[in-house]
Amino acid sequence: MHYFSFALFAFVCGWLMLAAESRRRVVAITVAGVLVSTLVIAPPPAEAQGGIIQAIQAVLNVINGAIQTALNAINTTRSAINNLYQNLIWPVQLINQARSQVVQMINQYRTLMASILNLDLHSATLATPQSLENAIRDHQVNNFSALTQAFGNTYGAIPLSTDASQADRDMSDMDDALTLDSLKTLKVSDSATDLELQAADSIETTASEAAPGSAPFLTASAVASSIRSQALTQKMLAAELRQEAAHIAHQNGFRKRGAAFSTQLRGVLMNLLQHN
Amino acid sequence: MRQARELLRKGASWIRGHKLRVILLSLVLTIAAPWPAEGQFSPCCAILAAGLSSISSALQSVIGGGLNQILGIDQSIQQFEQNVVWPQNLINQARSLVGNLQGIFNQIQTLTKIQVNSATLPNAQQLETNLLSRNANQIAQTSANYTALYGSVPAATDASQQVRDIVDMTDAAAQAAMKRAIEIDALSDLELQAASQINQSIQNAAPGSAPIIEAQADAWLVRANAYTQAATADLMRLRAIDLANSSADIKMGATNTASLRQQLMNLLQHN
Repeated sequence: MHYFSFALFAFVCGWLMLAAESRRRVVAITVAGVLVSTLVIAPPPAEAQGGIIQAIQAVLNVINGAIQTALNAINTTRSAINNLYQNLIWPVQLINQARSQVVQMINQYRTLMASILNLDLHSATLATPQSLENAIRDHQVNNFSALTQAFGNTYGAIPLSTDASQADRDMSDMDDALTLDSLKTLKVSDSATDLELQAADSIETTASEAAPGSAPFLTASAVASSIRSQALTQKMLAAELRQEAAHIAHQNGFRKRGAAFSTQLRGVLMNLLQHN
Repeated sequence: MRQARELLRKGASWIRGHKLRVILLSLVLTIAAPWPAEGQFSPCCAILAAGLSSISSALQSVIGGGLNQILGIDQSIQQFEQNVVWPQNLINQARSLVGNLQGIFNQIQTLTKIQVNSATLPNAQQLETNLLSRNANQIAQTSANYTALYGSVPAATDASQQVRDIVDMTDAAAQAAMKRAIEIDALSDLELQAASQINQSIQNAAPGSAPIIEAQADAWLVRANAYTQAATADLMRLRAIDLANSSADIKMGATNTASLRQQLMNLLQHN
């Protein structure tokens, strides 16, 4: 910008000087040029030195005062957070200790408990009950017909209509049905229990390698497994409820029929007495 | 070339003829020429340079040093969190486990849907179908199916009031337990469904959101425990009624014996 102004000034001044016709005009152009160059083109005077020193000192004061204090405070806080994380919240040695404990408990309990649960409980001594016992304890869900067959062989079939009243046949059929329902439900439950134990083993094994950040996945999944476990327990309880309800309904049926028989007997006796 | 020389000769001749103008023009242009700025060797610039140097030094030592320390700590925290607290590979491993568990749970859910119906006669089949329906809307039919199989309360002409009361109470407890069994089956199906949904949510969760899902799962577990307690309560009621029935049989036996004794005494006195 400055050089452009000078070039413009030089061109105008040179042209005027060349075009001047008298010595008086030359002097006048010279004076005007000096004035213009001094007042318009010359740069402004520099600022005083005292202002610069004060400004520099102020900046240094800010850096060495407020900023340094703030940085020190941040540094102290971050160091404290780091120590808190590493020494109090997630100390690596305690994390490793917890993993080791999981491994140690797996080794201590898993096989032992599996062997206890898998102890052979079969106790029947005769062929037919043995067959039924095998069917109700085999944890299989694809042999319900074999179970029904073995149950019929052991406990007999429903009496024929010529051999028992319809009420007796109905109650007997219902008793057998609910017994078989419960035994089938228990086979399902045994099979589901095996799967639940697999799930528990998987969760525990993964826990032995887990980090604090991955453990919440395992705990959440374990809780979901517990919900399933409760649901299965409820299904067993529902079967137990049906069975027990049928049991007292059966006894109550006897009571009802006792009342009916008493009424019939009273009628027979009255007839006999009237005839005599 | 010759033209240039001729031009220079003319220019020099013109300058010699206009010495004053050339001198004055040179003077004005010399005054107006843009001189370079004052060098750093002036006292003002020396102070400025020293000040800037101090500021630069302070920035490097105080701010740069402080920031570097903070950066070091932050990098240490970042490495600790990435390698110890939230290692990506272990998070992926946990998610993978949750996926595998879902497979096991699907098998369990399939198992629970296996039909166990076993009755062979129509009345028993009807009641059994109702009891195993897992449908709470079917509860309204339970009492009718029950009465069809086990009979109704004896008429007032056929049994004493005490016997009728006991029979009615026993039927009520048995029917309520059967209805509760239908309810519990329906609820447990819903619980299994919810557990699967929760498990799928866990697969898509982050370490920070998994505890929220866990809290929800905990709430479901509390609810499931409550349902189990409700079922257990009905089982206990059934057994209590059963025990009360046994006791009532003894009481009624004693009453009947006393009544029979009295009637025999009356007969003997008449004879």
